[in-house]
Amino acid sequence: MVNGMKRAVLAAGVAAVALTGAFAAQARDILLTGAKPNLLVVADAKARKVIHSWTLPGGGSPFAVVPSPDGKVAYVVTNRWEQILGIEIDTGKQVFQANLSMPEKNERVKAMLAVDISPDGREIAVFESPVRMLSDHYEVQPTRVTFYPTNGGMDAKPVRSWEAPRRTAQMMYNKAGDKLYLISWNVEVHDPKTGKLLETHALADWTLENSTPPDVFGVWAQFETSGLYVNPYFAMRTDSAPDNPETYRTGMVQIDLETGAFKTTDFEATSGIIFSAASNPVRRNEAYGVYTQLYKIDLDKGETVKKIDLPHTYYTVNVSTDGSELYVGGTMDDIGVYDTKTFEKIGAIDLPSGNDMGTAWVRVVQR
Amino acid sequence: MKHLKSINAKAERLAQAADGGDTEVVMMQTVVAGCTATFDPGWEVDPFGGVAALCQPMEADLYGCSDPCWWPAQVPDTINTYPDWNADAPSAERDWRLLQTVFPGDSK
Repeated sequence: MVNGMKRAVLAAGVAAVALTGAFAAQARDILLTGAKPNLLVVADAKARKVIHSWTLPGGGSPFAVVPSPDGKVAYVVTNRWEQILGIEIDTGKQVFQANLSMPEKNERVKAMLAVDISPDGREIAVFESPVRMLSDHYEVQPTRVTFYPTNGGMDAKPVRSWEAPRRTAQMMYNKAGDKLYLISWNVEVHDPKTGKLLETHALADWTLENSTPPDVFGVWAQFETSGLYVNPYFAMRTDSAPDNPETYRTGMVQIDLETGAFKTTDFEATSGIIFSAASNPVRRNEAYGVYTQLYKIDLDKGETVKKIDLPHTYYTVNVSTDGSELYVGGTMDDIGVYDTKTFEKIGAIDLPSGNDMGTAWVRVVQR
Repeated sequence: MKHLKSINAKAERLAQAADGGDTEVVMMQTVVAGCTATFDPGWEVDPFGGVAALCQPMEADLYGCSDPCWWPAQVPDTINTYPDWNADAPSAERDWRLLQTVFPGDSK
């Protein structure tokens, strides 16, 4: 009897493993991005093919693209940064709309780059820059983070809002969903339910010896496959001559979205420009930076491992869920596919429209 | 600084420097550096004083910089004032000949 039960349990286990394996075999990486004039582009990464180009209502162009945790809906910041639209990836059907501006208050509101969705998929947090448009003058209002429920339908209304540092360029939830990171002059960590400032990690106010404050740019979210946020910074040493190339330093800000670990790593005397970066979900010490060159950086050793020239400038780089491929995108009308180990170009996904992606993010979801 | 109110961290630092008597003028650069420091996008120099680290080609960067108002003095602002400036030219490389000069009367 006991042996029989063991066999049954074992058989059930084998079946479960087989099912998981089958799902894993079927799951594929889908890329989401935007292009002019107001397109949500859906591509099959491995097939190197665009499978949908959904035309969004309004006047474009898409910037932020935020996938729901189940990978079924893409939330797109578009229409002069004044709307967030939720679009079903498979059908193109619009299921969500938040109009950020408030005409009743004469307030024009722009979503200034930073936006993320809670891990439970229930809320979108967006960094807003409001301006009161009065008849004889404009009044710049404090910048803020505002939350919209994803079940708000076609006229979603905000449920919470509080002031947030101006120049917040990126924002992301931790994996547990109880912390919201705001990348600005410094990194603030807010409780997304109460707005309480939980902690601050210094960037502009860092006290690193013999260094200027870092210049941190980066308006592209591409941390979803690794759970490790990486973003380049640039600083100068103050104990070194201005004509010494070693004076100029490039490093990487890192935030582990599971553990909350915050770190900055200097990895080279600045030898090029990096607009955005992403890390490998399998080899998490490996980060990639992109602009007119593609960089491979070892975060543990603090060094540039490899650098190649790209056919043209790209703004974004994202990594496949298995850590084997890089997708470089933004700017023009193609997504370049590169091997993470060799940096060999192994494919390209051309947008059928031939239209520019511009600043649109490239996100990876598994379906 | 009596009549100006700082609205961001950089402006606050300038105000603090002025209040602290830090009035020395430091020349920031001897060359045109940065894409917002020139009236001809694509003709600036990179942080290293050359052109190799600029966006390649310049058209790859045109909408990435004009759509978010990165070049507010050089190309029309499509976020607020001239939303349709590049509406007929969705590819900067292919369609740039369709881009026109704008005038105040064209604004939204």
